[in-house]
Amino acid sequence: MTTEAIAPEVVTAAVDSRRDARGGTATRIVLRLITGLGVLWGATTLSFLGVRLAPGDTVDVLLGEQQRTPEVEAAIRAEWGLDSPAVVQYARYLWNVAHGDFGRSYVLQRPVSEVIGSQAGPTSALTGAALLVALVFAVVVATSTAQRRRSRAIANAVELALVSTPSFWLGIVLLSVFSFQLKIFPVAANKGLSALVLPALALGLSLGAVISQVLRDGLERALDEPFAVTVRSWSVSENALRLRHGLRHAALPAVTLTGWLVGGLLGGAVIIEEVFGRPGLGRVTVEAVLAQDLPVVLAVAILSAFVYVVISTLVDLLYLWLDPRLRRDARNGERR
Amino acid sequence: MAVLAAACGGTDTAARESAQPVSGGSLTWGVETEPTTLNPHLNGQSNTHLMLRNVFESLLARTTEGGFVGWLATGHEISPDGLTYTFPLREGVKFTDGNPLTATAVARNFTTMQDVSYSGGWSAGPLSHLAAVTARDERTVVFTLKDPYAPFLDFAAGFPLISPAAWDKPQLKAGGPEIAGTGPFVLDRYVKGQELHFRKNPDYNWAPQSAKHQGPAYLDEVTYRFLPESSVRTGALTSGQVDLIEGVSGNDAALFRDNPDFTYSTGLNNGSPYTLYWNATFGPATDERVRKALNNSVDVNAVLQSIYRGERTRGWGIASSVDTLFYDKSIEGTYGADKAAANRLLDEAGWTAKDSDGFRTKDGQRLTIELVQAQSTVRDQREVLLQAVQAQAKQNAGIDLKLSYVDLGTYSELRKKNAFGSIANSDTITGGIDIENHWYPPTPLGTLNYSRATDPELSTWLRAAASTTDTAERAKQYAQLQRFAIVDKAYGLPLYIPENQIATGAHVYGAGYRPYKQLPENAYDIWVDRG
Repeated sequence: MTTEAIAPEVVTAAVDSRRDARGGTATRIVLRLITGLGVLWGATTLSFLGVRLAPGDTVDVLLGEQQRTPEVEAAIRAEWGLDSPAVVQYARYLWNVAHGDFGRSYVLQRPVSEVIGSQAGPTSALTGAALLVALVFAVVVATSTAQRRRSRAIANAVELALVSTPSFWLGIVLLSVFSFQLKIFPVAANKGLSALVLPALALGLSLGAVISQVLRDGLERALDEPFAVTVRSWSVSENALRLRHGLRHAALPAVTLTGWLVGGLLGGAVIIEEVFGRPGLGRVTVEAVLAQDLPVVLAVAILSAFVYVVISTLVDLLYLWLDPRLRRDARNGERR
Repeated sequence: MAVLAAACGGTDTAARESAQPVSGGSLTWGVETEPTTLNPHLNGQSNTHLMLRNVFESLLARTTEGGFVGWLATGHEISPDGLTYTFPLREGVKFTDGNPLTATAVARNFTTMQDVSYSGGWSAGPLSHLAAVTARDERTVVFTLKDPYAPFLDFAAGFPLISPAAWDKPQLKAGGPEIAGTGPFVLDRYVKGQELHFRKNPDYNWAPQSAKHQGPAYLDEVTYRFLPESSVRTGALTSGQVDLIEGVSGNDAALFRDNPDFTYSTGLNNGSPYTLYWNATFGPATDERVRKALNNSVDVNAVLQSIYRGERTRGWGIASSVDTLFYDKSIEGTYGADKAAANRLLDEAGWTAKDSDGFRTKDGQRLTIELVQAQSTVRDQREVLLQAVQAQAKQNAGIDLKLSYVDLGTYSELRKKNAFGSIANSDTITGGIDIENHWYPPTPLGTLNYSRATDPELSTWLRAAASTTDTAERAKQYAQLQRFAIVDKAYGLPLYIPENQIATGAHVYGAGYRPYKQLPENAYDIWVDRG
C-alpha cells in the first residue's frame, strides 16, 4: 500500500485545479478496478492450483473409510466432475465462477454460494461490530491520552495487555463474567444486538489497541507541528484541536494499518465464532480445510481476495479524502 | 470455572424421584457437534444421531442386553438357511409429510442405498450381502441375502428410514426440513452454525417397546444449540441458558456430579475402543516383537489416570466392554505394562544400540513409529493422551513414537500408500460389523484394518461368526479373534472406551442413553418441570 503517503512531499505552490484532481481520481479508481479483477483471477488460479497440489486425491478423501470399488470411484468422479482433465476442470470452474456458481460442497452437499451466503451475514456483522469497537476504542484512547504523560502510561499498559491477550481467552473471560455470572448477555447464537456485544469486544479490543498506539503516535507528532501552535493561538479548545485538526493529520498511518488488519479479522473470527457458538465463515472455512472440502475452500479464498481488493481500494480513496495534498499529487503523477 | 456453579438455586432431590411426567414446554440442548448433512443415510458422525433420531426411526429397537424389540416393524423372522429376513410392519405409521409407512417405502430406502451415486459407498459392507429387498405385500418387507450374514440384522434393524417423497427433493443429500421421517419430532428449522429446531409430532403413536412411555413426546419444542467449546457448554448450563448439555470435559464433571442442582450421567460407547493400531506391513512394527514391545512399554492405566483423572474406562479388546453380546472379558489383564519384557523383546529384535537422544537404533536407524491421526478426529484430549503414551514408549523402552496430526488429504494419502506406522481410531458401529471392518484384509472388506493384518485365521473366524445367528457361537469366534489379534500378534493397543456425558439442570427428567448402542438418546422421553 502507499506508504509514501505517510510522509507527503512538502506542499509546493501550485494552482489546484479541481477538475484535474477529479480526473486523476477517476483514472485511479478505474485502474484500481482493473488491477482488482486481475488480483481476483490470480487468487482463483492460485487457489485452484494450490488445492490441486495439496496432498491427497479428492476421490480418496471423499471415499473416506468406505469400501473402494471401481463403481464407487466412477460414481464419485462423475458426480463431482473429476473425470475430465485438470485444464478442463479449471476452465469450467472459471466459467462457472464468472457466472456466480461456486459449485457444491463435497461435505455439506449444498451449493457453496448458499453456504457462503448464509454465513457471510453473521461474519460481516461480527467483523463490522469489531471494527467499530476497535475504532471507537482507538480514537477515544488516542485523543484523550496523547501527550499526557500519566494517562498515556496507563493506556500503554492496557493496550499492551489487550494486544498480547489471545482472543480465545478474552472471549472465555468475557463470557464467564458477563454471560455466565452477571447474565447480561446471552451465551451464544446470533440473535439480536445483545448477542453481538461480547464477540465484538473479544475480537475488536486487541485490534483497537494496535490502532490506538499508531494513532497516538501520529497525533503526538501532529500536535508538535507548527500548525498546532497556530490553531492554539486562535484560542480553539484543546479537544477541538485534537479532534478536528490533529486527528486528520494523524489518521493516515492508522487508516493504512486498519485496512490491513480488517483483512485479518476473518482469521480472528474463526476463534470467536467457535467460542461463542456463532454461525459464520470462519468456522465454515476451518472445517472445509480440515475436511478437504475444496469447493468451499476455493470460494472462501476468492471471497477473501475480493474483500482485500475492496478494502485496499477504499483505503486509497480515503487517503484522497483525508489529505487534499495527495489529490494534487495524484494529478501531478498523471502528468509526469 | 469452578465459581460458576454458585449462581444457581437449589432443588429438592426427593421431589425429583416422585415427579410425574409433564407434557409441554421446550428444551434447549447444547451439543458439541453439528451434523455435516441432515440426511441420516449419509451422516457418519455418531455424535449427531441424538438429533437425527428425533426424526428418523428404524424397523427394530435394541434392548440393553442386545436383544431386538418391535418398533416400526412388529418383529422379525430369519429363515433357517439364514438367507431370508422378513419384517412385518406396524399398522398406522405415517411419515410426518403424510405418506404412510409401506413395505415399498421401506424397501426403497435400501435399494436406493445400493445405488452408489446416492450413497457414495456408505454402508457398502453390509449391503454387499443383500441380493434383493422386496415388498411381499403392503405390510411385509423381505430381504434376500446372497450368503448367510448374521450382522445384517443389526444393520437392517437400525437403518434410519426416510419418506418416499424425499427422493425427488433437490436437497435430498443435504437433508433438512423437507426430508420427513416418522419420528416423534419434526425438524422445522436449521440455521447453519447455530441451531436445529424441532417441534412435536402430535400424531406420533409408535414408540419402540423399549421406550419409557408411549404416545406423543412430552416436549413441544427442542432446540439444539451448537456450542463446540466445552467450557462454554458448561457455562451455558450453569447459568441456565441451556437445559441440557452433551460432552462434559473431565475437569468440569465434578461441577455436576453429586450436585443437587444438576444431573450427570455417562454412557460408555459400544463399538471398538480407542486403539492404536500398529501397521504390521510398514517399518519396524512389521516385527511382531516390536509390536509386543510397544504394547508392553505403555502403562495404560497410569496414563489414563493422569490424563483423565479416572474419568475414562480402560479398553482391553476389540470390542467395548458394554457390548454384552460380543465382548470377551477374559482378555483383561493378560498383556501389557511390562517394561522388562518390552526391553527384552527389543533386544531380541536387534534394536540394541542407543542414540544420543536415548532412542533405540538398529544399523544406524532409529526405532521410529509414526502415529498418524487426522486433525479433524482429534477430540476428548486425545492429543494429550497420545503425548503421555509417547513419553512412556520413550522412557520405558526407547521407542520413538512420532505423533503426526494431518489434514484429511494427507491422511488418506498416507493410508493409501501404506506409509504410516500407526493409526489411532475408535468407532461406534455395532453388531460385529465394526469387528469385520477392523479385521478382514484391507481390501475390499476391512475398511478400518489399520494394522493391515491379513492372517487367514482372522477371516476364518469372521466368516464363521457371520454365518450363524447363534449369538453365543458368534461371541466364541470373536473371542478367539480378540486373543489372537491383541495378545498373540499385538496388532493394536486398545487405550480407552470413548464415552458420552450428559449433564442437565434439575428440572430436566428422562434424559439417557439408547439401549445397547449407548449413544445419547433423542428427546422423546425427556420432560421438563420448571416448578
